[in-house]
Amino acid sequence: MRTIKTVTVVGANGTMGCNVSAIFASFGNAKVYMVSRNIEDAKAAVEKAAKSVRATAITANLIPADYSLLSKCVAESDLIFESVAENFETKAEVTRKIAENIREKTVICSGTSGLSITSLAQQLPEELRGCYLGVHMFNPPYYMTLCEVIPTEYSDKALLNDIKDYLAEVLLRTVVEVADVPAFLGNRIGFQFINQAMQLAQDKAERGGIDYVDAIFGPFSGRAMYPLVTSDFVGLDVHKAIVDNVYFNTEDKARDSFVFPEFARRLVSEGRLGRKSAKGGLYRREKTEDGKSRILVYDIMTDGYREQTEYDFAFAGKMNAFIKNGEYSSAIAELLTDVSAEARLCCEALLKYIVYSLRCSLDFGGSIHAADDVMATGYNWCPPLAMLEAFETVKGFKQIAKEKLAAEYLERYDFEEIISKVEPSKYDYRRYFRASR
Amino acid sequence: MSKVYIIGGAQTDFERNWTKEGKNVMALLKEIIADGFKGAGINEETVTSLNEENRVACFVGNFIAEKYIEQGHLGALLTEANSCFNGVPSARYEAACASSSAALDAAITKIQNDDYDLAIVVGFELMKTVDSKTGSDFLGMAAYYEAEAKEIAFPFPRLFGRLADELLSKYDVDEKRFMDALASIAVINYENAKRNPLSQTRKWFMNFQQASARATDTNPLVGGRLAASDCSQITDGAVMVVLASEKFLKENNIEDKPFVKGYGHRVAPMLFDKKIAEAKNSDYVLPWTRQAVLDAYHRSGLTVDDIDVFETHDCFTSSEYAAISAFGITAAGDEYKAVEDGTISFTGSKPVNPSGGLIGCGHPVGASGARMFLDLYKQVSGTAGDYQIKDARNGMMLNIGGSATTSYVFIVGR
Repeated sequence: MRTIKTVTVVGANGTMGCNVSAIFASFGNAKVYMVSRNIEDAKAAVEKAAKSVRATAITANLIPADYSLLSKCVAESDLIFESVAENFETKAEVTRKIAENIREKTVICSGTSGLSITSLAQQLPEELRGCYLGVHMFNPPYYMTLCEVIPTEYSDKALLNDIKDYLAEVLLRTVVEVADVPAFLGNRIGFQFINQAMQLAQDKAERGGIDYVDAIFGPFSGRAMYPLVTSDFVGLDVHKAIVDNVYFNTEDKARDSFVFPEFARRLVSEGRLGRKSAKGGLYRREKTEDGKSRILVYDIMTDGYREQTEYDFAFAGKMNAFIKNGEYSSAIAELLTDVSAEARLCCEALLKYIVYSLRCSLDFGGSIHAADDVMATGYNWCPPLAMLEAFETVKGFKQIAKEKLAAEYLERYDFEEIISKVEPSKYDYRRYFRASR
Repeated sequence: MSKVYIIGGAQTDFERNWTKEGKNVMALLKEIIADGFKGAGINEETVTSLNEENRVACFVGNFIAEKYIEQGHLGALLTEANSCFNGVPSARYEAACASSSAALDAAITKIQNDDYDLAIVVGFELMKTVDSKTGSDFLGMAAYYEAEAKEIAFPFPRLFGRLADELLSKYDVDEKRFMDALASIAVINYENAKRNPLSQTRKWFMNFQQASARATDTNPLVGGRLAASDCSQITDGAVMVVLASEKFLKENNIEDKPFVKGYGHRVAPMLFDKKIAEAKNSDYVLPWTRQAVLDAYHRSGLTVDDIDVFETHDCFTSSEYAAISAFGITAAGDEYKAVEDGTISFTGSKPVNPSGGLIGCGHPVGASGARMFLDLYKQVSGTAGDYQIKDARNGMMLNIGGSATTSYVFIVGR
C-alpha cells in the first residue's frame, strides 16, 4: 500500500478541512499542514481538529500554515486535500496553484461535495491529471465514515486502488467509488429526499408547512434527524447549491424533484441560511426570558416564525409505540394500512426513496450495495436495501411497490431490473427505525 | 457428569444506544432472542416442544435493571418478549459485572446434571437511560456501597486506580514502564476492537501517544493514576448463549460443537482494603482470582500452555494487567513483559481480548460475561471472522464482579 506520511489540507480552517485534517493526523498518523486564510485561523483549526477526534495527542501532527507557505507544504506532501469554498472558480484557481509546486506522483484530492471532478482535473497540466481524484467525506467524519471516491477518465488505476485501500484500511473510511455526476451518490439520494420534503412543505403550507412535513418523516421513518432539520443544519445555501447543480447539469428522470422551492429561495436571498445564521432559517433558536432556549419554526404562509405545532398523527403514534417495543413489522404494517393523508405521504416517500436510491446505486455506484453504504454511513438513514427488508417483513416488496406507486413511476426507473438485482443488505434495518423519545 | 456443548448465540451491536433509539427492554430482548435463536440454529418450536417434556430452561444475567430501567423479575420477563417461553423455567442471576457468568454457571450445572437438554442464557444491561454520574452511583452498589461508594463520585475508577497503586507497590516495577504497559493494554484493546463489527469503539481513535499522555483535556484522570483511556465504557447490550446436552446434539444431528472444559468461581473479601490486606502474603495481588483460574485449569486438566486465546475483564487497564499473571501467562510481577514483548497482542502467542475486551468492545455489565463466553465459542469454532485467532482450540475467560470480588473463569474448547 502507498505510504502517506505528509498531507497538505488547503482550506483547513473550514469545517470539513479541519475535520478531515484530524482524520489524516489521527488514524493516518500523517504530518498535516493545515493551510488556512491566516496563521491565527490555522492555529484555531489545529485545536478544533484535535477535539473533533477527541485526541489532544494528534496536535503534534498538525502544523498550522497560511497561503504564503502553500508551495513549500505542497512540495513536501504525499497527498494534497483541497477543501476550499464550494465554488468552481475558487477551487480551479487553488488547484492550478497546487500544480505549480507539486512533486511527481503526489495525489491531489478535492473534497468537493458535487462539482465536476473531470472539469477540476482539467485545470491541471496533462501529466498531473492521473493523480487527481474526488474524495468526498461527510460531516462530521469522525462519526460519519462515508468516503465517496470519484475517479475521472484520466485517473491512474493503480493509484486509484492504492488510495481506496489507504482510505479504507488506514483511515477506516467506508469507501464507495462513484461516478463523476453532480452531487455524486449520497447527496443525489439524500438531497432528493430532503428537497422533496421542502417542496411538500411549500405545497402543504396551509397545513403547517415545515414542521408539518418534518412530523411526517420523524425518527419512526428510519432516520436520526428530521429531513428539514437536516437542511437547516447543513445550511439552505448548501442545500440550494446541491439541488441546483443536479437540476441544471443533469437529465435526471426526477429532475423536477430537484427544483428548490420559492420560499426557500427567498430565505437564502435574505441570508436566512439555517442554524449557522443568527436570523435563523427553516427553524430559529431563541432565548426565552427565563434564559432557556426554544426553537421556533418558519411559517411559509406568514413569512414569520412561530411556536412549533405538536402534530399528533395516529399512524406516527402507533409506529412509535411499536418501534419502542421492537415490533418493527407491526410498525411497517401500520404505515402500509393507515389511510390518512400523512401516512400515505410518508409511505409513498419511503417507497420512492428505495426505488430511486437503488436506481442511482446501479447507475452511479456500480453496485446495488453502494446506496446502502452511502445512506447508512453518510446520512445515518435506514439504507434502501435494509428498508426494503423492513417492508418485506409484511409482504413482498414488489407487490407493495406495485400497489402503492404508479406504474409509470416504476417503469421510468426500470423497476423490474432493480428488483432482479436486489441482494440482502449488509445493514440491519432495526437500528435505523427509531421511536420519538 | 454430562458434557455441556455450546451451539451458538448472538450479540447486539454494542455501539448502539437504545435510549437514543427510543427503545425499551422489550425491544432489546426481542432482538437478542430472534438473533440468538438464529445463531444457535433453533426456533420457537424447538423451545415449545422441548418444554412439553421440561427439557429446556432460561438463565438471565443482569446486574441492576431495577435501577436503570425500574424493572425486576427478569427471568419471567422473557415471556413478555416471546410467548414461546411461557411455562419454561427461568430465573435471573446476579453477581455484579459477573452476573451473566453466574447465569452460565447455573445453566452449565443443569445440563451437566441431565436436568435439561437445552439452556438459554441471556445477559443484558441497558445503561444509557441515565447520566454518567447517576449510572456510576448505581454501579457503586457492586462495591460495599455504604463503605466504598455512597456519596462518592465515580467509585469504581477510584478502586481500580488503587489496584494500580497496589500493583506498583507490590512489585518492583519502574513506574513509567508500568504506566506505559497500562497504556499499551488500552491501545491493544482499541486496535483489536477495530476488527470486531459489534464493538462499541470500532470507529474511535486511540494510539499510544494519546493513551500515555494522561491528565489532558481529552484524556482526563478519572481515578488516581488512571485516565479515561484506561477505562472501559459502559454501553447498552445483550448477548445470548445457547448450551445443549449431547442428547440434544444427537437428536438434531449437530456435530463438532465446542464444549465447556472447566470453570472456576471464587469470591474475595468485598471491601477493597480487606482484599489487599489479605493479599499481603500472596505473590498475587488478587489471590482469589488466581485461585479461580487454577481451579479451572485443574477441572479441565489443562494448563496455560493449552490455552490459545483469552478473554479477560479489562474494566480498567489495571484489571487486565493483574489478569495476565492470574492466567499464568507470566509470573506475578512480570506482567509488563507480556505487554512489551507482544505476547498478549492479536498476533502474539497468548492473545488477550481479540474482541477488544471491555475497553474496546464495550461493557454492558450484565452482558459482559456472556459476551466473553460467546467470543470464546466463536474463536474455538472458527467463526470469529476478522478477529479470528488462527487454530484456536481452547479459550479461557475471566469475568469479575465488583473490585475483583467475584471471579468467574470458564474454559471452552474442542
